[in-house]
Amino acid sequence: METLPLTEPVLLILLSLAGQPRHGYSILKDVEQMSDGRVVLSTGTLYGALRRLLDDDWIERFEERDSSRGRQAYRLTLQGRRNLQVEVSRMKHLTRLANLRVAVKES
Amino acid sequence: MLGIYRCLLHLYPASHREQFGAEMIAVFSQLRADTAQKGVTARGVFSVREAAGLLRGAMREQVRVLGAHVRLPFPTRRFTMRNGFRFPKSTPVLMTIILAGVVLAIDKGKAISASLPNVNPHIGPIQPEHHTFLPLIALAFAVFYVAGALGWVILFALHRSGVHRLAEFDPSGDSRI
Repeated sequence: METLPLTEPVLLILLSLAGQPRHGYSILKDVEQMSDGRVVLSTGTLYGALRRLLDDDWIERFEERDSSRGRQAYRLTLQGRRNLQVEVSRMKHLTRLANLRVAVKES
Repeated sequence: MLGIYRCLLHLYPASHREQFGAEMIAVFSQLRADTAQKGVTARGVFSVREAAGLLRGAMREQVRVLGAHVRLPFPTRRFTMRNGFRFPKSTPVLMTIILAGVVLAIDKGKAISASLPNVNPHIGPIQPEHHTFLPLIALAFAVFYVAGALGWVILFALHRSGVHRLAEFDPSGDSRI
């Protein structure tokens, strides 16, 4: 079960799916690109995270229509999007707080 | 390499393999094709990362499947390493320096001990200590490794036996085992 706060790989996977539905390979590449090559997921890690997110109804699986091979793709559910927004709000608050504290210390 | 990947996939629970197996193989094939044009180091890093990811993922899934039916008195998530965890690059260098320092210190100690004059005939000559803690560390590693492997084999055997599915059995209904 995924709990907040999310780990970085899970957060990046959700952010990758927030823009558009994606299949496994596309998620891996997008995560790598978003993190500037810092986070490179293995297939084992990716599908472990996807399984947990599916079980918790944060994402859903569907078959891509325009794919000749009938590839499975993933998209965020309403609950997943809501949880992602909660996490992003938490991070925003944390960043704002950190900026304030660092600014006070520097002045 | 694809054959090894398929073999390692068998470490996963059957349900996970049925749901994601084909997809994982397809994605792995695509990634392997991408890496084929890169250097030996990149290919090596890719292989190690995939193997480690599969082993860790399989272990986690097996524990999850077993844990779904066996109530453990502690949260299993605490024992899983975070996906983003990495040792600092300086770790092997520091470990090598420390090990070299220990070995040099032991040698130096032996040399000093051997050079000391034997002034007290009742005590006898001072002998250098040959038993260092290095074999002990190696032994501890071996013991932990064997214990871990045994634990894994027991969990895997239990899962393969299907004993955890007994909890799903409903004698009054038509549920399948």
